[in-house]
Amino acid sequence: MLLLHIFPIAQGIYMAFLDLNQFTLQRYLLAPFVGLDNFYAVLIDPGSPIRIGLFEAVRNTVIYTVVVTIGTLVVGMIVALMVHRNFWGRSMVRTLFMFPWIVPTYVTGLLWGIMWLREGGLVNVMLVDWLHLMPHKVSWLTGTNTIWAIIIPTIWRFWPLSMLMLLAGLQTIPEELYEAADIDGAGPWRKFWMITWPMLRPVWFILILFGLIYNTYSFNIVIMMFGFGAGFPGEWGDLMMTNIFRNSFQLWNFGTGAAASVLLLIVMIAIVNVWFRYFKRAEEMS
Amino acid sequence: MIPLPYYVKKRIVNIIISAIMLIMLAITLLPVGWMVFSSLKSSTDIAIGRVGLSRNLAGQPVVHWENYVDMWKNVNFGLYLKNSLIICGSTMVLAMIFSTLAAYALSRFRFPGSDLFSNAILATQMIPAIMYLIPLYIMFVKFTVLTGIPVKGTFTGIILIYSAFFIPFSIWILRGFFASIPKELEEAALIDGCNAFQVFRHVALPLAMPGIIATGIYVFLTAWDELMFAWVLTNADTMTIPVGIRLFVGNYQNRFDLMMAAATVATVPVVILFFMLQKHIVKGLTAGAVKG
Repeated sequence: MLLLHIFPIAQGIYMAFLDLNQFTLQRYLLAPFVGLDNFYAVLIDPGSPIRIGLFEAVRNTVIYTVVVTIGTLVVGMIVALMVHRNFWGRSMVRTLFMFPWIVPTYVTGLLWGIMWLREGGLVNVMLVDWLHLMPHKVSWLTGTNTIWAIIIPTIWRFWPLSMLMLLAGLQTIPEELYEAADIDGAGPWRKFWMITWPMLRPVWFILILFGLIYNTYSFNIVIMMFGFGAGFPGEWGDLMMTNIFRNSFQLWNFGTGAAASVLLLIVMIAIVNVWFRYFKRAEEMS
Repeated sequence: MIPLPYYVKKRIVNIIISAIMLIMLAITLLPVGWMVFSSLKSSTDIAIGRVGLSRNLAGQPVVHWENYVDMWKNVNFGLYLKNSLIICGSTMVLAMIFSTLAAYALSRFRFPGSDLFSNAILATQMIPAIMYLIPLYIMFVKFTVLTGIPVKGTFTGIILIYSAFFIPFSIWILRGFFASIPKELEEAALIDGCNAFQVFRHVALPLAMPGIIATGIYVFLTAWDELMFAWVLTNADTMTIPVGIRLFVGNYQNRFDLMMAAATVATVPVVILFFMLQKHIVKGLTAGAVKG
């Protein structure tokens, strides 16, 4: 079973060193070995097709990943605290809050593609026609607005999972801690930062870890929102994954695609290691 | 102003929080409602950006229920739905069989390399999917060229890939479930004369069943959601919903209304599945997180 993983990965790494495109595809692993040329094409060569737009893709991916990871955590935390209280219809409300998470991601992309439309899209209708928060309608899917147009749907889709995990964590915190804090005269803000947040540490550690990984590799929402796979998301909407996918399967540059994904993997391993180390140190200090 | 007694204050704060919560709930559910609403418009309504429904000559709003009939004829959506069900169902069964066995083995027996194996499982989660996809695509093409057996565009190919992709994650979740079953139960069964397989079959498996169901559903939902692999590795006959749904808008037509109808139909099975098994899923997903 691991064979099915290791075999393609080994090939994937090896292919990063081959000149593999639609002409040499027939020769498979016997395609001309070009050493580090692919990495040169990805990172340095200003004329290669994958290098163009790479900077934008990296920048967008960084912004996207950080904002989405933090955003899902914050929204999830707020709602988890809200539904943690006792009120009538609690389980019903909790279930309804889970709804976005069940909607498939490709539907999320399509759906928000409709919502962002300039004319007749729900976002513009609400902000301009109903609430009068903005003077005129905004084109959400062009220019720098694009990055928000991909971040917000992703947060919408993924925060219920954070809420679910944090809620499960909240239920394990013993009530006595809060009672003790009450006696000491702590306010709600202080109680949150001194008790709730530290006690939830294992939960948000996992959430941030997986958030960083999954959001960096996010693909479905963005690709479905712009031209339904055919279009180019624009220089503020292109992510690493859409960039590599376009280069590999639409421009048929498999070698450079493999090289770019190897680089992405290296960066990801570094990030995960840093996060683990940071977490361990924080654990020791407390 | 008279200072309010603390219980009144608490009550007011509670009501305010509840109100905010309900507003957030409304915002959360609004996009889904908009999807269903858009699916009942005509394609002109969406194209010219009309907010409400169009009206007929008598001034009555026209609800285009026929979108839900047309979507099956316009593109071959029934085929895609069937393909998705076959692929996701088989993947779920296959992945669950292998990962249950592997997870049980990892949680009960120590063998040389078992730690390495556990770590490798986690490591597979870090690898970008596209790094598998490029070699797999070329492998599939090449295999067919060499042997004449078609792999790309068949159910077997995509089901195998999906299973291989979801097994590590499933093992990781299920291991926690098996670890939480008390060892004493199994020891008692051993003393009563069960062999190792009978212990697994009659003690561990029934106890872990809720976890297996939850993980299985999760695998199904994720496979239902998968676009990138399906896009590259299926053909016109084995296309799944995410790939096929794109055909509503393209070179020859612009039927956003039908697309929204199809999106609604694609969401319904998942929603039903989730609400039927909600307790299991929630328990299964949170079990790992709380243990830390």
